[in-house]
Amino acid sequence: MKRLLLVFITFTFSLILTGCWSQKELTDLAIISVLGIDLAEDGRLIGTLQIINPGNVAGGMQGGGGTEGPPVTIYTSTGDSVTELSRSASRKISRSLYYAHTNLLVISEDLAKNQDISTILDAIERDAEFRITADVVIARGVKASELVKVLTPIDKIPANKVIKTLKFSEQQWGEFMSTSVQDTIKDLASPGKEPVITGFNLYGDAEEGKKLEGTQATEPVTSLGATGLATIKNGKLLGWLEGEKARGTVWVLDKIKQTAIGIDYKGQKESIIYQVIRQKTKVSGTVQKGKPKITINVAAEGDIGETKVPIDLTDPNVLLSLEKKLDKEIKKEITMAINEAQKNKADIFGFGQSIHRSYPKEWKKLQKEWDSVHFADLEVEVNVEAYIRRTGLRNNPHFK
Amino acid sequence: MPPFFKKKKPIKIKSKKQIEKPDEGANVARPIGDSLSHNLELIKQKTGKSTDVIISEFILQTLPEHKAAVIFVEGIADSKNINDFLLESMLNNQAVLEKATQSDTIEFLSEKVLAIAGVKKITDWNDLFLALMAGDTIILVDGSSTGLVASTRGGGEQRSVEEPGSQVTVRGPRDGFTESIRTNTALVRRRIQNPDLWVETMKIGTVTKTDVSIMYIKGIAKEEIVGEVRKRLKSIKIDSILESGYIEQLIEDQALTTFPTLYHTERPDIVAGNILEGRIAIFVNGTPFVLIAPAIFIQFFQSVEDYYGRADIGTALRFLRILIFFISIIAPATYIAGTTFHQEMIPTQLLIAIAAQRETVPFPAYFEALIMEIAFEILREAGVRMPRAVGSAISIVGALVIGQAAVQAGIVSPAMVIVVAITAIANFATPSFPIAISARLIRFIFMIAAATFGFYGIILGILILVVHLCSLRSFGIPYLTPLAPVIPANLGDTVVRLPLWAQKKRPELTTQGHDLRVGEKQKPEPPKNRDMVNKKAKKGD
Repeated sequence: MKRLLLVFITFTFSLILTGCWSQKELTDLAIISVLGIDLAEDGRLIGTLQIINPGNVAGGMQGGGGTEGPPVTIYTSTGDSVTELSRSASRKISRSLYYAHTNLLVISEDLAKNQDISTILDAIERDAEFRITADVVIARGVKASELVKVLTPIDKIPANKVIKTLKFSEQQWGEFMSTSVQDTIKDLASPGKEPVITGFNLYGDAEEGKKLEGTQATEPVTSLGATGLATIKNGKLLGWLEGEKARGTVWVLDKIKQTAIGIDYKGQKESIIYQVIRQKTKVSGTVQKGKPKITINVAAEGDIGETKVPIDLTDPNVLLSLEKKLDKEIKKEITMAINEAQKNKADIFGFGQSIHRSYPKEWKKLQKEWDSVHFADLEVEVNVEAYIRRTGLRNNPHFK
Repeated sequence: MPPFFKKKKPIKIKSKKQIEKPDEGANVARPIGDSLSHNLELIKQKTGKSTDVIISEFILQTLPEHKAAVIFVEGIADSKNINDFLLESMLNNQAVLEKATQSDTIEFLSEKVLAIAGVKKITDWNDLFLALMAGDTIILVDGSSTGLVASTRGGGEQRSVEEPGSQVTVRGPRDGFTESIRTNTALVRRRIQNPDLWVETMKIGTVTKTDVSIMYIKGIAKEEIVGEVRKRLKSIKIDSILESGYIEQLIEDQALTTFPTLYHTERPDIVAGNILEGRIAIFVNGTPFVLIAPAIFIQFFQSVEDYYGRADIGTALRFLRILIFFISIIAPATYIAGTTFHQEMIPTQLLIAIAAQRETVPFPAYFEALIMEIAFEILREAGVRMPRAVGSAISIVGALVIGQAAVQAGIVSPAMVIVVAITAIANFATPSFPIAISARLIRFIFMIAAATFGFYGIILGILILVVHLCSLRSFGIPYLTPLAPVIPANLGDTVVRLPLWAQKKRPELTTQGHDLRVGEKQKPEPPKNRDMVNKKAKKGD
């Protein structure tokens, strides 16, 4: 009985004496949704923290009737390093900074051009709270702080707006892709691949975008949108890929889910629109006599989305000819993207990796001069097979 | 030390001694005398001239005549039986009675006169009072030191067999046990019409002398367990047994647990089913709750309807019930751990929603959860104990005050109300009441663990819980069988409920026989040929 009592006391005290170890109440946390990083003129880093204002996001169950505030609040702080700016931000913020729900990292174009982004990513990767699955975007043409400050109407938290835009644009249009911190670090670290990061731009007035009134009009005064893919080389921004070149890049990376491609028919430009519903791209590398070669096989399936000219879609020969045109069109986009990358000498497609995987011994020789010599002169064979599976809900167009 | 304590000590020792030898004189035989008037006087003296003890004297018209008396307790003896069969046969039966000689009047009465079954001779006062108080009728004849006991039990008002209040089912028999032990054993015997269904009865309780019966099937039940049950029941020394719960607390394997190690039920079909699995039913007079021993953990998640309905649905419901059990244990603990330790585990949108609700709450999450849980327990206790007429007031106060006003006042968050509500409903949905109560208690321990260590504390708690469950025994049978130790043959009736034709073996640890429950090839299937369909088709076309 005495022993039992002793065990009981030990157990109870060990529970009680710990207190509430490492406990953090929700009301003591500043949930950061976006971290934006700019380069100051003196070379220091300026961090912009977008902190969620839970009461203003989740709608008015309680407290109701009060004035509606903005869903997020912005604080900025300066420091020599990411950690320093984060710590020094506590001077202004009444709660403890909580990065576990930071889903977006915004790096300004200025910073990406002038400094190796790897050093910033290291801080994020090392931190226990920050998720490496957070998306990375580059603020194109604007400061990261300006981008972070813009309020958005439908998804009240701007971070969600950016993340979701990237996700659905990648799925439905294919010129952009969401890149996580993890992906970027992987690409930066591996020798045979360079990262690409989507750029985000601000449309409209940056000052007006900060105000809640801006989001209350049917057409938001200021909005955010994706523009172009940034090519990164050696951790620095090299240039931007736009339009078809960007889509070609996404295509080679096998990230395209759906997109629309216009082809010319009977002399009329972009008169038949083809909707890709699924595709598969395979990249394989070979080395013959010390010379590397890349083969890209694309198989795309889709429907006819739109016709602008009378056409007999019941005729299989017509469809076959359309498919051939599609092959050419897709191949053109991919080739454009590859040529651009070769010009930049940045292997954003990971061709080096495919060679490495299949020919590890040869890769060792090629590795040293991969970007400058081998990639730039690389022979790339592109085979595209597009299939028209359906013509939509109609056969022939109703006009003649 | 104050003198108060000093004084108390010697008293304690004294009382211990007294307990050790309760009612010592009770078992010493005291023969009945042969003078009727003296005997009746003794009875009156012993019963304190209780008005419900009826003594009616009459003249037995034997040759020569004898004075005689019938003694019974009004209300528990069946007075119709006494009048129609006992008194009738002894008073209006002169022709037969005249043949009796003086020496064997008692013998003669029991063999030739009394038109009632179950007549016994007694010579001892103890037996006489036991029989009298159980509802039997005593016949004493002047000049004879032997009395007769006629079985006239079951008189007076009794609750009829009704649908049981607990363990209600949609499909299945509607009868439930009553307070009468005979009715209860009969309800089971009607279901198992087999001479191997054995019943043993004993009287327990030095003052109450309550009838306690054990029932099992000879040949299926394991002899060791039957012996153990019998031994434990016989070793009970207590003044009263008022409900089967008294027995349960006295014969459990271990007292330091919140988990029930004996099953109790109001339904005869559950008892029958368990007896067929080798378990032993313990009936206690005066309560509709019958104990079943040994009980295993998984039994508390089984409902009779699992067996009456289809196997697949039964299995799905079993899964649900186990989930329910876990919810009712760890739901508030998970809320506490999630909101105070592991905010990163909660999806962003949900976290923001919870954070928004908690902005105005003045308490830490743990305290908030504790307040709500205790408030709910108070409501629930009030709901159970209140008279039915005021019951609706409880729900109004509960729903309005706790549910709405507290949230609107910003004292608790709506998310917490949801968590408490889910926990409460999960607790109600647990099919067995004792395990639900057990979960209620354990929940608070888990809440403390979650408040100190977060999910780590919850996992530790679960670990301790599992170890504790593994350490439990019910009449020597491991509590977690057939899951731990694993008995593959019996796994078909645990988390999953296999079809009856696939559950071939009885529970290994509680039965002794190795015979199968079902025969070979019991799986139903359609006829092999398709004549029924084709012949008709030919005719029709």
